[in-house]
Amino acid sequence: MSMSLIGVIGLLVLFGLLALRFPVALAMILVGTLGTLCAQANRFIGLGMASDRAWARGWNTAMSNLSGEAFEVASNFNLLVIPMFVLMGNLAGVSGMSRDLFTAAHRWIGHFRGGLASATISACAGFAALSGSSLASAVTMGRVALPEMNRFKYAPELSTGSVAAGGTLGFLIPPSGGMIIYAVLTDQSIGRLFMAGVVPGIVLTLLFIGAVWITVRLRPEKGPAGDRATPGERRRSVAAAIPIVLVVGVTIGGMYTGFFTPVEASAVGALLTFVVALWRRSLDARRLRTVVLQTMKATATVFLIIIGAFVFIPFMSLTGLAGDMVTFLTSLPIGEIGVLIVVILIYMFLGTFLEGIAMLVLTIPVVMALATQLQWDLIWFGIIVVIVLEMGMISPPVGINVFVVKSIAPEVPMRTIFRGIWPFWFAMAVMIALLVAFPGIAMFLPNTMLGS
Amino acid sequence: MGAGDSRPAWLRRLDRWVERLTFLVGGIGLAVMVLLTSWNVIAMRKILNDPIVGAEDILILNLAILVAVAIPYGGRSGAHIEIEIFETWMSKAFARWSLVAMKLLAIPLVAILAWRLFKSGGSAREFGEATQQLLISYEPFYFAMGAMIALYAAILIADLILLLAGRNVAPMPEPDGDAR
Repeated sequence: MSMSLIGVIGLLVLFGLLALRFPVALAMILVGTLGTLCAQANRFIGLGMASDRAWARGWNTAMSNLSGEAFEVASNFNLLVIPMFVLMGNLAGVSGMSRDLFTAAHRWIGHFRGGLASATISACAGFAALSGSSLASAVTMGRVALPEMNRFKYAPELSTGSVAAGGTLGFLIPPSGGMIIYAVLTDQSIGRLFMAGVVPGIVLTLLFIGAVWITVRLRPEKGPAGDRATPGERRRSVAAAIPIVLVVGVTIGGMYTGFFTPVEASAVGALLTFVVALWRRSLDARRLRTVVLQTMKATATVFLIIIGAFVFIPFMSLTGLAGDMVTFLTSLPIGEIGVLIVVILIYMFLGTFLEGIAMLVLTIPVVMALATQLQWDLIWFGIIVVIVLEMGMISPPVGINVFVVKSIAPEVPMRTIFRGIWPFWFAMAVMIALLVAFPGIAMFLPNTMLGS
Repeated sequence: MGAGDSRPAWLRRLDRWVERLTFLVGGIGLAVMVLLTSWNVIAMRKILNDPIVGAEDILILNLAILVAVAIPYGGRSGAHIEIEIFETWMSKAFARWSLVAMKLLAIPLVAILAWRLFKSGGSAREFGEATQQLLISYEPFYFAMGAMIALYAAILIADLILLLAGRNVAPMPEPDGDAR
C-alpha cells in the first residue's frame, strides 16, 4: 500500500471521528498513533522485513511517540506562557479592568454617532493586550458594553456585531493563544510572532471602527450619539485606566524591548494583574477560585490539543501526504498569489464549521509544508492564518463568538447577530488583502526590533 | 445542588473531588510559576545578575503536574473541543449511540496513553531522563501524568455509564465568579 493512501485513509478516519463528536485532540492522538503504526509497518515491509517484525517495530515507534510526545508537550518550557497569559487575562476579567477600558473609550468617543460601538471595539483591543482569548474578550466586554449600547437604543445587529467582532481581536493582538499554538507547531519564535501581530492588530481595530463609521453613515439610526462627557469625567476615566496601561506597557513593552522573554513577560504580567486586582479589592476567594479553575480549563483545552497535534504531525510527515498536496497546489497554473488565495478560501470554508484552534492544528502539517516550499515568511503567514481564523469565529453557522454574544444577549435572534458581523467580516478581508499587498505591516516591527 | 442540576449523586461527588484537586494543585502550581519566574527575572537576573540555578527545571516539572491535573478536569468541564455542528443532522438515537461508540473508542485510547506513561516512567531512570540542571528524574512526573490520564479514562467511563443509563452527559457547572 502506498504511503499516500495510508495518509488519505488516516485523514478520512480523522474527519469521520470529528463528525461523530470525538474530541479533536483524542481524534488526532488515535489517528496519529494507529497511522504511525501502519505507516511504519508498511515502510519496513516495503524494505523487505518480515511482516511480524515490521508490525512490532511499528508498534514500538507508535507507542514511544504516544507517551514521549505527551510528556514532551506537558514539560515544554516555552509553553509556560499559556497558563500564565491565560491567568493574566482571567485576572483582568474579574478585576473590573474591562469596565475601566470601556468607560475611558466611552467618555472620549461615545458622543459620536456609533461612538459606543467604536468604544467597544477600542476597549476590546485594549483588553486583547491583557488576554489571549477571543472568547474571554467577547464575554467580558459584552457584559460591560451591551447594556450601555441598549440604553442608547443601538440597533441590536450593530451592538452585538461589534462585541462579537471586537472579541476576535483577542486572537490577534498579543498575547494571543492562537499565535502561541502556531509558533509551537511551526517552530517559530513566540516573541517575534507577537511583535508581528501588533501593527495588524491596530490596523484591524481601525478598520473595525471604519466599519462602524460606514454603518452609521448609511443608517444613522443604528448608532445614536451618546452623552458628551465633561473634561473632568474624561480625565478621571483616563486615570482609572492607567493601571491597565501600566500592565500592558510593562509586559508587552518589556517583550518588545527585549527586557523580558515571552515566558518572563507572561509571569510578570500575571503578577502585576494580580496586584492590580488586589489593589482594586475586586478579588475575593470566590473569584480567585473561578480564575484558577478557568485557567486550568483553558490549559486543558490547549495542551491536550497540542499533544494531539504532536502525535498526529509525525504521522502526516511519514506518509508524505502533505508533500503531495503541496505538489498538487503548486502545480496549479494560478501562481503564488493564487495558491495563497486558495489556502485562504479553504480556511474561510473550514472556519464555517470548525473551531479555530482545531482548524489550526489540523491544517498546520499541510500549510506549513506549503509555506516552506513557496518560501513564505512563516511569521507573516502566521498573522494571515490568525486573521482568517478570526473570520471563522464570527462566520455562520458556528461562529463561536456569535454564540458567546448570544448567551449574553439572549433576546437578540442569531440571524440578527450574524447580520451585524458582515461589516466586520469584510474589514478582516480588507486586512488580509493589505497584508498580502504590504507584508511590511506585519514584518516591520519584528524586523526592526529583532533584525530580519 | 442547583435546581437544573441533573447529575446523579455519585457524579456530583466525583466532580467535587476533581474540582477541589484542580483548584488546589492549579492554585499552588500557578502561584509557584508566576512567583518563581517573576522573582528569578526581576530580582535575581536583572538586579543581582545571579539567576536561580535550576529554576527552569522546577518550572517545567511544575508545568507537567499542572497539565496532568488540568486534563481530567477538562474532561468534566467540557474543555476538550468537539465538533458539534453535525449533531443537528443526526436522529436522537443515532446521536446517542454514536456517542456511546465514541466513548468506547476513547476509553481504551486514553487508558493506553496512561499505561504508556507509567511504562515510560518506569524506564525513565534507566534511560537517564532527567532535568538538565538539577538532574531530577522524570520518573515520578511520568507516574503523576499517567495517574491523571487514568483519571481522565475513569471520567470517560462515567460518561459512558450515563449514556447507557439513558441520561445526558452534562459537564460540571461553571465556577460562579463573574467577569466584570
